[in-house]
Amino acid sequence: MPLKLGLIGPQVDDMAQTIARLSPEHDRFLTEAQDLLRGLNADALREKLRWQQNQQMRLPWLVAMPRGSLSGTVTSPAPPVDFSVVGCDASSIPPDRHSSVRCYVLNVGYAFLTYGRRPSAVLEAQSQLCFRDQDLYVFPDRRDVPIEGALLGARMEVETLRVLQGVMENGARPALILRDGPLILWTLQSESKEVQRALLRDLFGSMDRLREAGVPLAGYISYTNSRDLANSLRVWLCLTQPNKCEHCQSEKRDLCMALAKMHDRELLGFLTEGERSELFGSSSQILEEYGDHRVEFFYLNVGGEIVRVEVPQWVGSDATLLEFVHAAINDQCRRSPCFPPYPPALLEAHEQAVITTVERRLVEEIIDRAVGRQGQRLVRSAKDDSKRRRGV
Amino acid sequence: MRIGEIIETTSSGFVAESFELNRPPALGSLVLVRLPDETALYGAVTYGQTAGVDPSRRAVRRSTDVVFDGAIYEQHPELEHILRTEFGVALVGFVAAGRLRHHLPARPPPLHFSVQGVSREEVCYFTDGLLYFRLLLIPYGDVPPQQVLAANVRWVYEQRGHDDIWLDTAAREIATLLKNDSAALLTVLYAIDPGDVPMLREQGGVA
Repeated sequence: MPLKLGLIGPQVDDMAQTIARLSPEHDRFLTEAQDLLRGLNADALREKLRWQQNQQMRLPWLVAMPRGSLSGTVTSPAPPVDFSVVGCDASSIPPDRHSSVRCYVLNVGYAFLTYGRRPSAVLEAQSQLCFRDQDLYVFPDRRDVPIEGALLGARMEVETLRVLQGVMENGARPALILRDGPLILWTLQSESKEVQRALLRDLFGSMDRLREAGVPLAGYISYTNSRDLANSLRVWLCLTQPNKCEHCQSEKRDLCMALAKMHDRELLGFLTEGERSELFGSSSQILEEYGDHRVEFFYLNVGGEIVRVEVPQWVGSDATLLEFVHAAINDQCRRSPCFPPYPPALLEAHEQAVITTVERRLVEEIIDRAVGRQGQRLVRSAKDDSKRRRGV
Repeated sequence: MRIGEIIETTSSGFVAESFELNRPPALGSLVLVRLPDETALYGAVTYGQTAGVDPSRRAVRRSTDVVFDGAIYEQHPELEHILRTEFGVALVGFVAAGRLRHHLPARPPPLHFSVQGVSREEVCYFTDGLLYFRLLLIPYGDVPPQQVLAANVRWVYEQRGHDDIWLDTAAREIATLLKNDSAALLTVLYAIDPGDVPMLREQGGVA
């Protein structure tokens, strides 16, 4: 066994002891941070955040801009008698750098669950092989910017919404489309504006049609590691500039540094089961491209964990749609057979979307044979070949 | 009437997926598979089972204080798609070129072919002879073959309109087959129901 577990063992013990030692201190700062959150005036924080955002130096962290109060809570309304939740997920077989054939596979899975007087379920997946220039490049005319890595992830999001938009055309209402993961495609942030706009255009096209159809869309993030709200508190505490912590002389420096390691899900630990926070705006840079679809979020205690739910602005600003999103997600978690709960619509969508290792091999073999039947040979790199053989 | 589709097949029997969740055909009941050459393969149901479609996903508890039994399926409509009911069938004979045979067919039935229920006339036609009992005593699945045989006798007796003469003949045939294993014989006869078995009545019951 090349991994030396004997070396790691003592380090694991050391880590566990460190966590236990720091726990009381963390709890003390958490209480202090929650007191700050409860006592802080939202208008004053909004003003300070805006002032900071207008400074020449960009904020080094993502912050949460409160739309309402900071520690306000909203209890879950009851869902309608008849309604649907459409969970969706996607996975891919990415382009293989070690193969002479350039292509990738997208698999969009969805679970269309209808509750009420006529319960029903549709569990489906749409799979496609993408190999043409318009699939392989962001700019096919000049065969520029290959779709891979983060761009493939964004392409999956686009494809997912395109599929769901079709599914929803004849679907029952009211219905919620629940996406596994964020609606903020922050992975595109490092791309050029041209690339961002080319990829987001189709995404927004689908979102436009969902909005016209009155179908809300939400992104569900389980065990969120977001610190946006904690960062907003750090900005509030900051006496100078948030990027000059090493020169900080504030008496609140320790709390500020504790907030740097604190998650919003901990900060909002006072939410009771079914309750959500008020809405917050995100300062994610990519949202500057989102226009009317700018994403807002709230935290929700689903019972057992606090999740982050992202919605487009047109959902957040529509009290009826927002209420439905809250009620439907809460209802999903009540129906979950797991603890902590997880929406059954997302669980089943994942099962539809997932591509197993066996299926990956199978697709590879099918491509290999099809190319062979056309008298062509699929070439693999020596490195890939040696890893497959693993000869001794 | 089509009641399922073959998803595993061997020379001695097959496994079929039931079209109705949680409603496999009755234990011991006869089913048939029709082949394109007009051969009809007869089988007896040896077990039923409901589990996840994906074998790596185990069923978990879903009931609450207020939602239980049938209501669980209304509250979780996806269950109809992620669960499946299958049943095992031991082949017990076939009809080919107009002749009834009580032995295994030359080939297993094709995968994905339909499994059908049988009519009363077909039950009577197939069970007028009892040589197929020998095949039912070969284990197929987890249910003990004595229980499968007893279930078949009970089911056929019902289908034949409580035919006491047939039941008497069946009990004697079983007694002959299991004459060297009195424990197995009593297990079968007791499972058929002592009150309905003339042989047991004559002997004053099994107790």
